[in-house]
Amino acid sequence: MKRFLNILAVALVSFMFMATSSYSKEVKVGVVLPMTGLVAAFGQSAWKGIELAQSMEPTAKDGTKIHLTLLDNKGTKVGTANAVSKLISSNHVKTLIGAITSSDTMAGAPIAERHHIPMISSSATNPLVTKGTKYISRACFIDPFQGAVAAKYVYNNLHKKTATVMIERDQDYSVGLAHAFIKAFKKLGGKVVSVAFFQSTDQDYSAQISTIKAKNPEVIYMPSYYQEIALFCRQARQYGLNQPVLAGDGAEADALIKIGGKAVNGVTFTTHFDPHAAATPLTTKFVNLYNKKYKQNPDAMAALGADAYFIVLNAVSKAGGYKATPKKINYYIRHTKNFKGVTGVININPKTGNAIKSAVIRKVVNGKFVYVTTVNP
Amino acid sequence: MNKKTILTVLSVVLLFLFLWYGDGHLSTYAMRIWEEVGIFLMLAASYNLINGVTGQFSLEPNGFVAIGAYVTAILILTPAQKEAMFIITPMVPWLQNLHMSFFPALIIGGLVTAFVGFLLGFPVFRVRGDYLAIVTLGFGLTIRVVSNNTVPITNGALGLKGLPTYTTIWWCWGWAVFAMIVIMRMVNSEFGRAMKAVRDDEDAAIAMGINTFWIKMTAFITAAFFEGVGGGLLASLITIISPTMFTFFLTFELLIIIVVGGLGSMTGTALATIVVIWGSEILRVVEQPMDIFGLHIPGIPGMRMVVFSVLLILIMIFAREGIMGQKEFSWDSLFNFFKKNKVAQK
Repeated sequence: MKRFLNILAVALVSFMFMATSSYSKEVKVGVVLPMTGLVAAFGQSAWKGIELAQSMEPTAKDGTKIHLTLLDNKGTKVGTANAVSKLISSNHVKTLIGAITSSDTMAGAPIAERHHIPMISSSATNPLVTKGTKYISRACFIDPFQGAVAAKYVYNNLHKKTATVMIERDQDYSVGLAHAFIKAFKKLGGKVVSVAFFQSTDQDYSAQISTIKAKNPEVIYMPSYYQEIALFCRQARQYGLNQPVLAGDGAEADALIKIGGKAVNGVTFTTHFDPHAAATPLTTKFVNLYNKKYKQNPDAMAALGADAYFIVLNAVSKAGGYKATPKKINYYIRHTKNFKGVTGVININPKTGNAIKSAVIRKVVNGKFVYVTTVNP
Repeated sequence: MNKKTILTVLSVVLLFLFLWYGDGHLSTYAMRIWEEVGIFLMLAASYNLINGVTGQFSLEPNGFVAIGAYVTAILILTPAQKEAMFIITPMVPWLQNLHMSFFPALIIGGLVTAFVGFLLGFPVFRVRGDYLAIVTLGFGLTIRVVSNNTVPITNGALGLKGLPTYTTIWWCWGWAVFAMIVIMRMVNSEFGRAMKAVRDDEDAAIAMGINTFWIKMTAFITAAFFEGVGGGLLASLITIISPTMFTFFLTFELLIIIVVGGLGSMTGTALATIVVIWGSEILRVVEQPMDIFGLHIPGIPGMRMVVFSVLLILIMIFAREGIMGQKEFSWDSLFNFFKKNKVAQK
């Protein structure tokens, strides 16, 4: 028995050595995503996108390998801060990709900023994430843009002048996007006739529906997640509320149609990309490979994750491959110009770190997501 | 001063020497985890005072930590920052212009929490056992709903962002050591003996003439103060707070720590804090992709939770009362241990 244990110990030690095999020409990139916890679905999607992107283009122009290290943040702020800290000081990464939600990203960002390590988030849309920073960037558009796109679409394309806004009170995503929409809609000359609030796990929307009915708006803007939107639509249609419902990128999930059924027909939402309306050659290639590998269409999280990877790869190539310093990589991330990514053409504003890119409007038609239009910034 | 006091002082000095050395030599990541250990040690020790020593199964910490975090955060943010952050509704003016340095903000955070604890004590200590757990659980949920809905004070779901990072290793461990000294002295005092009496048999304690209500209140308010301060330290360490940070999971984590350490044992809590906080970081190894004898094992995210749970189950099987049980580490037992060993060698 003892001898067996000895052998086991020796074997374990040798595993450890073998596990830390090193490559000479590589750039280490840390990835912080929620792989467990409440928002794990988003993190896993993004990781699928990043992994596929890496298998498509594993090396920079000079042959430098991109070495990804994934750490789970459990979808918490403390977890994100710890993971970012570990990647920077123990793994010595030169660049970071992550995290998914805005508030998690903001918990890790000050650490990256302090160590002068560039960090690019795939999907943190809150404007405060990059505000006042030099090293934090993002691959997605920001809430004020998404809100304004929805407002313009309602006012200019649908020719509707009055709206009710449904706000999910305990989700910063919903509060931020609703605020952006209201501001933009009023600026265009529209009128927000009422604002109704609800909570994440609410099942019954009859109180909100009766107030909305009394105000009789022309459209209902509900920046929330798919589950709440689906439940709300079902009940609203039952009570004879037939106004068009508009939403943000949180609506995009097959579950929306599964839960909502016929009631969600006509739900229109702003999002990051459409797999069927190829914005660039890379979109087509990515969507095809994704379908082959995972037997499904990529969602926005996967596409944005891939874009974050491609932006980093592009910056590493320009910054001189394996000799690139974090500072140089950051410079080229922030000076991303006319980059043809998966979700479209991406420009990053060097001053703010925010991506300037087009938004896509999609709609549910007969139980399927259909491309409506692309709105350029 | 007797020998044991000198030893205790020496070990505290040694702890700070270690931290001082670490501050310059260990990686910022390691120091960060040590900072977290300090904060969680304070939270867990104060939670153990109410849950382990006084035996009141309360589930309040997430509520108290939230109050402390919010009060401290509001006080250390500058008026300009608050104005930029409150985009939905402006902040109430008298809070908007309130601004002070870190130490008074922490103290006020602690005192406000203690006051809330004082008010909360009257209704909740009318019930015992499982009912107390339910009532205090409800309190934690209430705090979360309130912080989501009092937008002019807490900024609702958007939370408070960009807090200045004042929290250093010295703040964390200074407070942790201070809290440990206060709590351990309390446990070994008249109050502490009364608390233990309440835990072991409340009716007997009443019969002995102990005012059990105020004994519970003393433990509750002390715990509330330190949990409030801990919340403030955590807020400044993470630099962003929002209602989602203070869910029941926070209480749950503390509960794991005190159960693993041993209900009622402060030194056990200290050990368990290190095990739990460092454990989940060290176990990240099992999630990394590995090449073993040419066999490639891809990283499995979430694997460390599985391993961690198995470890917890093992601890609960082989040390049912936690690492230390109800015992405390003492110099005497250490000396005895060495003496026994010497005798054995002879």
